[in-house]
Amino acid sequence: MIKTSELSKIFKTDEIETTALNKINLEIERGEFVAVMGPSGCGKSTLLNILGLLDTPTIGDFYFLGENVAGYSEKQRAKIRKKNIGFIFQNFNLIDQLTVFENVEMPLIYLGMSTKERKHRVEIALEQMQISHRLKHYPNQLSGGQQQRVAVARAIVSKPQFILADEPTGNLDSAHGDEVMNILAGLNKMGATIIMVTHSQSDAEYAQRVVTLFDGQLLAEKTHKVSA
Amino acid sequence: MWINYLKIAFRNLIKHKLYALINILGLAIGIASFILIWLYIIDELSYDRYHEDAKNTYRLVNVYDFEGVGENSASSPFPVAWTLKNDYPDMVQNVTRVFNRQAPRTLIDNEFVSYNERHFFFADSTFFQIFDHEFIMGDPNTALDEINSVVMTESTARRYFKDENPMGKTIRLEKMLDLKVTGVIKDVPHNSHFTFDFMASLSTMRKPYGGQLPKTWVWNPCWTYLVLKEGTPKTLEKSFPAFIDKYFYDAEKENVTLYLQPLTDIHLKSKLDYEIEPNSNITYIKILGVIAVFLLIIAIINYINLATATSAGRAYEIGIKKVFGAFRSQLVYQFLMESVILSLLALFVSLFIIELLLPHLNNFSGKELQIGILIQPAYAAILMMIGIGTGLLAGLYPALYLSVFNPIMALNNKLSKATKGGLGRKALVVIQFVISIVLIIITLHIYKQVNYFKNADTGFDKENIVILPISGTTISRAYEPFKEELLQNPNILSVTAMDDMLGVAHNTHEFRPEGFPEDKWSFYPALVIRYDFLETFGIKLVAGRDYNEEMKTDPEKGMLINESMVKHVGWKSNEEAIGKKFRSLQGEERVIGVIADFNATSLHESAGPFVLNIKETPGVIAFFLKYVAIKVADQNKEETIAFIESKWNEKEQGRPFEYNWFEQELAQLYNDEEVLGDLSLILTAIIIFIAALGLYGLVSFMAAQRTREIGIRKVFGAEQGSIMVLLSVEFMKLVGIAILIAWPLSYLLIDEWLNYFAYQMNIDTLSFLIGALAAFAIAMLITNSRAYIVARTNPVNTLKYE
Repeated sequence: MIKTSELSKIFKTDEIETTALNKINLEIERGEFVAVMGPSGCGKSTLLNILGLLDTPTIGDFYFLGENVAGYSEKQRAKIRKKNIGFIFQNFNLIDQLTVFENVEMPLIYLGMSTKERKHRVEIALEQMQISHRLKHYPNQLSGGQQQRVAVARAIVSKPQFILADEPTGNLDSAHGDEVMNILAGLNKMGATIIMVTHSQSDAEYAQRVVTLFDGQLLAEKTHKVSA
Repeated sequence: MWINYLKIAFRNLIKHKLYALINILGLAIGIASFILIWLYIIDELSYDRYHEDAKNTYRLVNVYDFEGVGENSASSPFPVAWTLKNDYPDMVQNVTRVFNRQAPRTLIDNEFVSYNERHFFFADSTFFQIFDHEFIMGDPNTALDEINSVVMTESTARRYFKDENPMGKTIRLEKMLDLKVTGVIKDVPHNSHFTFDFMASLSTMRKPYGGQLPKTWVWNPCWTYLVLKEGTPKTLEKSFPAFIDKYFYDAEKENVTLYLQPLTDIHLKSKLDYEIEPNSNITYIKILGVIAVFLLIIAIINYINLATATSAGRAYEIGIKKVFGAFRSQLVYQFLMESVILSLLALFVSLFIIELLLPHLNNFSGKELQIGILIQPAYAAILMMIGIGTGLLAGLYPALYLSVFNPIMALNNKLSKATKGGLGRKALVVIQFVISIVLIIITLHIYKQVNYFKNADTGFDKENIVILPISGTTISRAYEPFKEELLQNPNILSVTAMDDMLGVAHNTHEFRPEGFPEDKWSFYPALVIRYDFLETFGIKLVAGRDYNEEMKTDPEKGMLINESMVKHVGWKSNEEAIGKKFRSLQGEERVIGVIADFNATSLHESAGPFVLNIKETPGVIAFFLKYVAIKVADQNKEETIAFIESKWNEKEQGRPFEYNWFEQELAQLYNDEEVLGDLSLILTAIIIFIAALGLYGLVSFMAAQRTREIGIRKVFGAEQGSIMVLLSVEFMKLVGIAILIAWPLSYLLIDEWLNYFAYQMNIDTLSFLIGALAAFAIAMLITNSRAYIVARTNPVNTLKYE
């Protein structure tokens, strides 16, 4: 479903060249829950950005649903992205000026969905995240856990095949963190493919497979049974 | 401390190069335009003020009002000046008359050269006591004492005498009189309500008038200036009715009013009949003044907008300074100082812009404005005040706004909320757009009104008519043979002559229409003409017949009147008017034809009763023939002019040939409006440019503030187009609000301005649409060009900074 071959990302500034990812070969199947781990600066987020079609590799191939998208333009990538991928960020990245409802509704607008359909879908997603009682609130009126649930609702509202999560519990206390992880595990059970970057060993436990990066290189893969 | 402030100020300028550039450039252009208009207005207000006695000097105005017809005359009868001086010696300190024989040109020659002079005048010997002109040679107190003496300007002296000393030399007037040069003065300053190249002694005119100057109280060709003792003008004006009663003729006594017009008011406020030169218009000066202030306001608004928008970026600095003990007042000083430094920099740049543009402005306005005037202490002080004042005004709001930040909020970078709403900033953007739209609409209207004037149906033809000034020429004394010879050329279709320029000016003549009481004489606007006048100018005859050379009694006994005259007298139809009698100074005349109304003067005035009259006594003909009008065929114009010139040269040995196209003569009537139109076009362009510059800066900052939001939207699938709409739509709303305010405002202003004209175009809805569309287009272009760049940014880069 997702396959990278000899994928590298090199950042160039005037003076230095940094290899953020070095010849990554990775394959992810439909319905998998994969955790990406590694120390700060190892290239986790860069990998996630490329897998999420937010960025392009410098060298190498990247097959997304069978298509080599490595050389795609931003416009081409945006088209695939909005249909297939939902994002969850460590700092939630909700838009302060929009209400909970409007934040969740946003991806559907860009998919060109009708108002009625959007309303229906947003309500379902918010109910699923148990946050529908807050739909007229603004992000800053919510707790961190509630904000992240809104962000998850936004990620799943368009029913994407993939959910990409960048340290989704990083800004949450452990209780709220567990809550979010349970939600992700639940989504995975319902068929979503999840790729998650994390520092947290306990969060990684939720994944079926853990890949570890060090200095831009894939070090090890570990598969384990999901405990929850 | 101050050095620290200065350092930070300059580092900030360098760090935010684009915004600093926008700010300095916007302010500099604003200040430069403001100063240029200011110089222009100072000049307009300075007219005639260089005479030492200017504030006590007045011109006498004669109003002749015969139930709505008559004239507001800038000139007075010959005897008035000195009679006033004799009768009211306590109030009238000095008088002088200025006279130009009512001749559009005066032939002056000497053994070397000959010219048709436009600026030749006669005046009483007191002229140079009242009007201060710098004498290079000769004595102002005695230069005009003798008959046949003349004072000329420096550049004129050079034209006639090259480098020789002109004193005591002679020039010849109309090939009749020798005039001795008794003085040479510096050229008349341009800020005088009239320019002269020659000033001859009025006593010189005694001889042509048979030994003494005319004593009539009816003919009023003398511009009459009085110097009054301070505080007496009101008292003197009160004694005018008694004065009129004592001296003016019984028939006009009741219809004459005299009043005093301050010398310093003439240039801007006087629009009378028989002005020496066309004057300017105070309303236009006010319009320019308002535009100048608008310009400065827009430039200041830009500054405020950009400064507050950039404030979020300074939050961290403010937070740290507050944590380490900075007082609010210290921060206010710092920001004010930055603002003043910037505006002084802008002032400095603006001086370069002024230096660059001043020659063009002078060229275009015919003025001699100089930047040097700004070095004078008074002006330099005002200039510094503008610079510092603009800086303080522009810096005050951001200074107070920035310094109030809570340090914890500032350090945590939680200021974005505070800076996002920006209601005040939106209001300022709306104001800028309102001003821009109003100016676009008004400028379009000024242009349309000028065009309307140029193309309006004035009731006579304007094309293909050549005008020759002929007063005092041989041709004026033998006009008919000249006409016959011209008509030999098949390209010359028709020839006529007149005593004033049709459509520009006219005299008034005394008549008593049939049925009016014995003593009810009125002065009616009239032109003295020659045969074929209606044909040459294409004026429509609506009843009766035109003058006919076969009918021997026509000149003395026949007259043409217009339809307004028929209505004025009260005849029921144009046909009924035919054969009706008018008493005139020549005896009795009958109406032989009624012509359609036409505009005898500019379209600032409405058409009224009018008389066309032929005179036949030879001396009288010569006196009244000042212009020949020649209708020529549309083709071979150059050859036709060459033919006219050859005929002229046969008749007028030594008198230079001069001709003008009638259409161009008429166009000069609307010079004021044309200059105003051009100036407001340029200023509108500048205002739009400054506003656009500011908008660009503001959009850039707003886009920068919304970077994160844009990033998030892009992650969730927003495409470039939708991001551009997102960023533009807010400004489009502001433009929409601005249009709603600008439309009614423009309507009111234009309606007010158009009231000034007797003939107005309709208010033009298209201009309103154009103004609105232009604003939309400009806002669209600027926001989109900026939004395009932002929308293309990869969200990975923008979200990374969170």
